[in-house]
Amino acid sequence: MNATSQPHRGSRVRIAAGLTGVLMLAASCASTPPAPTASLQAAQLAISNAERTDASRYAPGELGEARTKLASADTAVKEQRMIMAERFAEESRAEAELASARTAAVKAKAVNDEMTRSTDTLVEEMQRGSGDKP
Amino acid sequence: MNTVNDSGVNLCRTLIATAVASVLLAACAAAPLKPDGAAEARNKLMQLQSDPNLAGRAPLAIKEADAAVRTAEQPQADQELAAYRVYLADRKIDTARAQAETRLAEDQRAALSAQRESARLDARTHEADTARSQVATARAEGAQQKLAADQARSESDAAYLAAANSEQQATELQRQIEELQARVTDRGLVLTLGDVLFESGRADLKTGTAGNLNKLVFFLNKHPDRSVAIEGYTDSVGSEDYNQALSQRRADSVRSYLVRQGIGSGRLTASGMGMIDPVAGNDSAAGRQQNRRVEVIVSNPPAASR
Repeated sequence: MNATSQPHRGSRVRIAAGLTGVLMLAASCASTPPAPTASLQAAQLAISNAERTDASRYAPGELGEARTKLASADTAVKEQRMIMAERFAEESRAEAELASARTAAVKAKAVNDEMTRSTDTLVEEMQRGSGDKP
Repeated sequence: MNTVNDSGVNLCRTLIATAVASVLLAACAAAPLKPDGAAEARNKLMQLQSDPNLAGRAPLAIKEADAAVRTAEQPQADQELAAYRVYLADRKIDTARAQAETRLAEDQRAALSAQRESARLDARTHEADTARSQVATARAEGAQQKLAADQARSESDAAYLAAANSEQQATELQRQIEELQARVTDRGLVLTLGDVLFESGRADLKTGTAGNLNKLVFFLNKHPDRSVAIEGYTDSVGSEDYNQALSQRRADSVRSYLVRQGIGSGRLTASGMGMIDPVAGNDSAAGRQQNRRVEVIVSNPPAASR
């Protein structure tokens, strides 16, 4: 019994392996869209730029959102959902660029406010000075 | 009838066709022309584009946002893709606005800087003015003090002048007294007019010998507060009555001369003393000559003890 059953089993294993290989190839062929590397790198660069302009202080909401979106993109890549990954990456980049733009705006306004304040202080001091003097 | 029926059928067909067409059109109209949120994005972008302060200040970013909005506006059956496009358009509009605001702030900085410089200049001018007015005040105070000092000085000058004056007056008096060859006594200045003024036994003043008397007139004119006592004296030659009368006449003679020279008669008293109080011995001619005399006593001024 043993001698007659041996060759049968071996051929079955081979067939199974072959089928599995074909299936795996087919599967890999079906989900071929590559990871959106360019978008991911652009998002990462935009976040780094925002961080360099101190966006964590002036636009923390936007910067946090950009990071979250990038993390979602990475997760999507791992899950082979490359279209989602690319959209998350693009959203992350847009959010990071907004963070940079808002940071710049806040800083520019702060400078102007400081100038206005110092001018007001000068005027005030002068008026107080002239008020005190007889 | 047939024709009527035919036309009725035709009408029905037309109606059905129209109905079908309108249903189809309605279906087309009802189909979302733009994805959700695209209209809001367009509206937001238009607000930015119509802001005169911002529209021209981020042209590139606004252009990108506009393109993103147009993409988002494309009809899209894929809801996720539509939402993704709206999301991107929204962020790009916000980014464009932030960039325009940054640029606006930078552009306003020149004006702010000018304002601050102006204020600083005003402050400096004001400071300088204050300092100047303080200096002026100090100077005015100084001037006042100087004025006071000047006043004090002029007062002291006046005092000095008065002192000097009185000193000068005293000096002058001294000189005048010396000029008169008068003696300073307790009674006053005593001026002795020698008998050379008078002929022996006569009371008339010798002509041409009034020089000494004129000095007295000058002195009395200078010192109108002083009164004068004129006393006549004789030697012991002759009777007492005679000598008394003679001495009186001689005193009166001097007095009337002084009155003629303009000295108030009220200031002048004349008295004959006779042969008393000889200043020398009557036993010699020289002694007797010394005794024949008129003494003019100029009183000290009433307020001399000032």
